Amino acid sequence: MVQTVDRAAVVRDLEEAVGRGNCLSEPSDLRTYECDGLTGVRVRPAAVVLPSDTAQVAAAVRVARRYGMPIVPRGSGTGLSGGALPVEGCLLIVLSRMNRILDVDFDNLRMRVQPGVINLDVTRAIAARGYYYAPDPSSQSVCSIGGNIAENSGGAHCLKYGFTVNHVVAATLVLSDGEVVEIGSPAADGLGYDLMAAVVGSEGLVGIVTEAVVRILRTPELTRTFFATFPSTDEAGTCVSDIVAAGIVPAAVEMMDALAIEAIVKATGVDWPLDVGAALLLDVDGPSAEVEHTAAAAVEIARRSGAIDVRMPKDDAERALMWKGRKSAFAAVGRISPNYYVQDGVIPRSEISRVLREIAELSAREGLRVANVFHAGDGNLHPLVLYDARVAGEEHRAELVGGEILKICVRYGGSITGEHGVGTDKAIYMGELFSDADLETMNYVRCTFDPERALNPGKVFPTPRLCGDIPGAYAPHATERAGLADRG
Amino acid sequence: MATIAGTEVGATVAPADLGEASAILAAAAEEGGAVAFAGGGTELGFGYPPDRVDLLLRTEHLARVVEYAPADMVVEVEAGIPLAALQKVLAASGQRLALDVPHAELASIGGLVACNTFGPRRARFGTLRDLIVGVSLIRADGTRVRGGGKVVKNVAGFDLPKIVVGSLGTLAMVATVTLRLHPLPETVALVRLEHCSASHLRRLTAGIREARLEPAALLAVAVGRGYDFFALFEGFEAGVAQQAERFAVLAAGLGLEAEALENERGLDAADEDVRTYGDLRLRFAVPPASLERFEIEGLEPLIRAFPASKLAIYPSLGVAFWSAYATDRESAASGAAAARAVAERMGGNALLLDARDSWIRDAVDVFGTLPGAFPLMKRLKERFDPDGRLNRGRFLGRL
Repeated sequence: MVQTVDRAAVVRDLEEAVGRGNCLSEPSDLRTYECDGLTGVRVRPAAVVLPSDTAQVAAAVRVARRYGMPIVPRGSGTGLSGGALPVEGCLLIVLSRMNRILDVDFDNLRMRVQPGVINLDVTRAIAARGYYYAPDPSSQSVCSIGGNIAENSGGAHCLKYGFTVNHVVAATLVLSDGEVVEIGSPAADGLGYDLMAAVVGSEGLVGIVTEAVVRILRTPELTRTFFATFPSTDEAGTCVSDIVAAGIVPAAVEMMDALAIEAIVKATGVDWPLDVGAALLLDVDGPSAEVEHTAAAAVEIARRSGAIDVRMPKDDAERALMWKGRKSAFAAVGRISPNYYVQDGVIPRSEISRVLREIAELSAREGLRVANVFHAGDGNLHPLVLYDARVAGEEHRAELVGGEILKICVRYGGSITGEHGVGTDKAIYMGELFSDADLETMNYVRCTFDPERALNPGKVFPTPRLCGDIPGAYAPHATERAGLADRG
Repeated sequence: MATIAGTEVGATVAPADLGEASAILAAAAEEGGAVAFAGGGTELGFGYPPDRVDLLLRTEHLARVVEYAPADMVVEVEAGIPLAALQKVLAASGQRLALDVPHAELASIGGLVACNTFGPRRARFGTLRDLIVGVSLIRADGTRVRGGGKVVKNVAGFDLPKIVVGSLGTLAMVATVTLRLHPLPETVALVRLEHCSASHLRRLTAGIREARLEPAALLAVAVGRGYDFFALFEGFEAGVAQQAERFAVLAAGLGLEAEALENERGLDAADEDVRTYGDLRLRFAVPPASLERFEIEGLEPLIRAFPASKLAIYPSLGVAFWSAYATDRESAASGAAAARAVAERMGGNALLLDARDSWIRDAVDVFGTLPGAFPLMKRLKERFDPDGRLNRGRFLGRL
């Protein structure tokens, strides 16, 4: 730990690695970095560096390792699961200054970027030529590509276009010993194991991406959007199922319940009706005749499923406003509650109505309001548990409600996270979804890259897991057989 | 006596269920036995010959549909189910796995996952890597584990499903696979252009992109001195008609005449004709924009050396399948090595897809130059299979 070593020596070596102005170690400077988007938990890092290239990242990693400091990587710090939360005595490597677009290759539909590039800036750089980058998390105006890679971020349009893992094809990776490796391939498939699949979504546990090659896509010829309101989430859920059953693959289908609509209206001033039980926001995109057909069919299905009103934006500006309403939903909830806790669970699409009813019962039982805004097309729920931190015990109860919601998701065959990651926040729920042997196997992947577990320790895995020697056939130790110890 | 790429197999076993498969692998671990896996056997020629096979585990009885939820468009199947059998089940609900490969009657889902096999519809739907959402594995020690899940959107834990895609059975046995499905299209239109040049392929592919058409597949097959170019459009009636028409206009602009074929079978037949031909089969991948240059520098010399060879190109993906009867060892060795060197220089690679014949595998290496990240791959293998018993010696770098 850094406290037990010569602090001045650590700072000196870090400054040598990244340059004097790019190393922070004064408590007042470190405070900014005490947490990420999961603001309820704070840990002050021992030091922060803001490197500007791969070599500096590698040098900083080597310094940290020399002094036995754990390493936590961080992008924009917008993550909601505490993935970039510092750990005691750590070196926090902040990649936000590595924000250059290095190359745009329209012929091969590829773009090479540094990890600190903001998600939306990738699209902005190529939009004029009619191209875009598909993954679009709601935080896309502030979150970074490096963070997106760590979390395998999705967004509304991943229903049709897939997740970050489908859109990042190669990367430069700094390993936990400072070694730099190139993974992935500029061709359709690289040789050997798919290391990109191990890196994307690994939540900073296997290495630090210092450059990434992403796929870019041609902007669809036409996008049609509708906003439909329903008496309750039941009809809205049926509508989603029926659209999918009709063979339509929308680009996005978002659902908001009454409370979420209320918050969005208060925060953004969109003219959505307040006397409805649920709303859907749907995009279909592609070649024009196909889109006109599917949009008309989707509207017809919405009406048949009991929609109160179906609105089509009259122009791009109105469409953008509708989406702005949806994408500002989390922040908007701040207008109707002093505090809220964002959850991120997944359920099979066909179970939406039943799960929402269970969440409503839970909400009533615990006396805490829950607003639901979510990616209905792929069953990715974002329940927002509203509470007042000034009321003793409410924050704790909100967390418990959040945890119960995850258990409901697992019970219906879903997952504890669709896009926010496990991080610090959900590590304790991994056991609901995976057995010890499952987690041990995932740990093989981690240990392949970082046998000393120096990178982002304490995240993802519910209990500390050793890498140890290359494992032989599993034989339980006597203490395990006696139930006194666990392999972890 | 059964063999795999020339290596004799000690014993063969076909477990009746996954529990039995797990017990067999646990017993093999105890005895230190080297294990190989086989599904439909369509790709057993891919990879180096195994160092040793004490036990060949066949998955033919592990062919159940574990869970199919049409409303969620997800299916979980045991690894041994043949692709065509699965498609039949799905078609009854108007759905499909968006994967098209040769020998679909035989090829098992587990084998396809192990080899990451794909067809021309990859242009639109990606490979199994993009379609897999969950997996259950039987580890080298016989332990059954799971990764991913049965919902499409899921980031809990490391992505074991995608990591085993393309791992050639060297990390663990794939026991069940959970897959994302797509609707069967209402209609399809297959359009063929004859007598295309290599530069036509590039201009057509670029034109399709500029016109923002979204073909489900693009395929060019060498015929005589030129190519037949196929474009497949899928979806709803109005959209498909519009796209096929726009494509015909685009073709006319290049002086090519579009011919509408009756159904999509022409595409699959043309693809399969190349990919199942001959005894020397190579697959090249280069950045798509380098394809035309690769065609001239890499493929033309190969075609000159083997005039009876066949060639299929996926122009938007930068992928080429080349097949021939290898008439003599010298030209097979030198031709393949030269074409591979060109592909590697462009940042791509070349695979020998079938190393069943001993003289071919002696003449042509399976994978070519090791990537810089190979040490990491070796470590991954050691973590999953510390004694190196699963498909021993078959994979990249003889892992």
